[in-house]
Amino acid sequence: MTDLKRLYDAILDGDAKTATAVTKEALAEGVNPLDLVTNHMVPAMDEVGKRFECEEYFVPELLISARAMKGALELIRPLLAAQGSEPVARVAIGTVKGDLHDIGKNLVASMLEGGGFEVIDLGADVSPDKFVAAVKERGANLICLSALLTVTMPAMKTTIEALTNAGVRGKIKIMVGGAPVTPQYATEIGADGYGENAISAVSLARQLVAQGSEASA
Amino acid sequence: MNAKERLQAALRHREPDGIPIDFGGTSVTGIHVSAVAALREAYGLEKRPVKVHEPYQMLGLLDDDLKEAMGIDVEGAFPRDTMFGFANRNWKTWRMPDGLEVLISDQFVTTTDANGDILVYPEGDLSAPPSGKMPRGGYFCDTIVRQPPIDDATLNVEENLEEFTPMSEDQLEHIRCATAAAAATGRGVIATFGGTAFGDIALVPAPFLKHPKGIRDVAEWYMSTATRRDYIHGIFGHQCEIALANLERVRATVGDAVDAVFICGTDFGTQASTFCSVKTFRDLYFPYYKRVNDWVHRNTGWRTFKHSCGAVEKLIPSFIEAGFDILNPVQCSAAGMAPEHLKKEYGEQIVFWGGGVDTQKVLPFGTPEDVRRQVLERCEVFSRGGGFVFNSIHNVQACTPVRNIMAMIDAVREFNGITKRDTRH
Repeated sequence: MTDLKRLYDAILDGDAKTATAVTKEALAEGVNPLDLVTNHMVPAMDEVGKRFECEEYFVPELLISARAMKGALELIRPLLAAQGSEPVARVAIGTVKGDLHDIGKNLVASMLEGGGFEVIDLGADVSPDKFVAAVKERGANLICLSALLTVTMPAMKTTIEALTNAGVRGKIKIMVGGAPVTPQYATEIGADGYGENAISAVSLARQLVAQGSEASA
Repeated sequence: MNAKERLQAALRHREPDGIPIDFGGTSVTGIHVSAVAALREAYGLEKRPVKVHEPYQMLGLLDDDLKEAMGIDVEGAFPRDTMFGFANRNWKTWRMPDGLEVLISDQFVTTTDANGDILVYPEGDLSAPPSGKMPRGGYFCDTIVRQPPIDDATLNVEENLEEFTPMSEDQLEHIRCATAAAAATGRGVIATFGGTAFGDIALVPAPFLKHPKGIRDVAEWYMSTATRRDYIHGIFGHQCEIALANLERVRATVGDAVDAVFICGTDFGTQASTFCSVKTFRDLYFPYYKRVNDWVHRNTGWRTFKHSCGAVEKLIPSFIEAGFDILNPVQCSAAGMAPEHLKKEYGEQIVFWGGGVDTQKVLPFGTPEDVRRQVLERCEVFSRGGGFVFNSIHNVQACTPVRNIMAMIDAVREFNGITKRDTRH
């Protein structure tokens, strides 16, 4: 039997080759893919987050752990889909119109994936109508908007307005982040929350999804 | 005091007759071309298209008349080639996406893609893949990463060294002329010679090269600082040797006409933390910075300028130990970067060149009174005992209200008036 602690350690250490190899072995042995995600990969990424918050890990370590996690997840994702497993939530993420800076957005996307979310990465310089389409056509129920520049921050507001005008605002939660963005700005433009970094974004996403579930219950 | 003496006093941690002001002296203390145009109009100066001297961030050249109107004490000397690998020669008219007419090098060659984004080409060569992109309706460029596939088995340090070469005679002659012209203004001189930035993430994708090789992707580079440390040491080691040889030739050419030299713009801070641990900084970067700074101090009277955005308080002692004399942009809005704390802990050992006003919130989105209040507070804290050059926290961005930029300048003057400056220039 494959020692699944190796998967946890490989993600924590950012060892993509081992993470992929152990996942392959485990799947070949018939281990439930959801078990791999829930009991090994998500806890590993949670530990990565903790180490980041206490400044034991920094951006390079986050990136290599996320890469290891993604490698394993790519093997697992089709199997989860075939099983009909529902993700924690379906997130559409992108940098807003006019903003090409996507390192922060990529990190948030990776950490959300590591946290069990299904991530629809719309990329950089994303127009409001693409976010609307992600909700309407792909079922996204959480929207993450990123901006690095003071001149592109207003595009967060116009994106939220577009989602409101499209009649989908009530079905989704919206969170925002990026260097010049503040909690006050998030409130001003009608977002549901502000994530200071990739780690806090995952906690916030979990909170917002829980709120959404309570509201619809 | 004249402008040069004012800067020199501040750099030597002596209180000048007023805080020296820099805008436009470097590529990290500049003003977006649209804001320069707005300032020219607001100060009632001759209406004419502004030159874009830095076509990556679209920084506008501050001509002498504007510098006089704003009371600028610092003049920049820039290397021959821009971020896109061409020289600022043969100015041509170009329209920004918002319609503003500017002047820009005729080698700023662009195409527009299907999305309406403007693509920029290295050395103005349309046969090379574009290296910069200005989004439709945007105000500045970002680099297009051109990353060849990486095979660790064959990865060779030499591939990441293409941009680090002995300076050509033409480049050296440009530096001689640029420095002489800067010195002739009577202002203090900060020079950028290039080649001494170790791992600056803006330079890693090499938008100035036609076909960059090695590690050029931003995330791949950051990961490499953890996973391929020997490779990065290999780059920095070679780069350092070449840089020191170039500096020797530059020193012989410009001598002590220069007051400060922009050594490195590598950002070590995020909004809330650092990009690496102090331990990593000391292993990977410190030795090269120390060699460069030691060489400068042994051989010249130049003060060395380190730019790093973000929450770098924990690294400041290492910056100082590595021999940096000046820190920029002093991002007080980042974690642990409170002005009082920085001045108290490090103010006697390092010059703060920046920190004058926040450009993420106050300057672009505050009222003129908000700007005035913050500038006066910052001047009060940072100017005690010298060691302060006024500049906003990084470049003044596009869309910043001109009344706020003027309120910022007026507030520094107000502060300087209180200190009873004798004469200005």
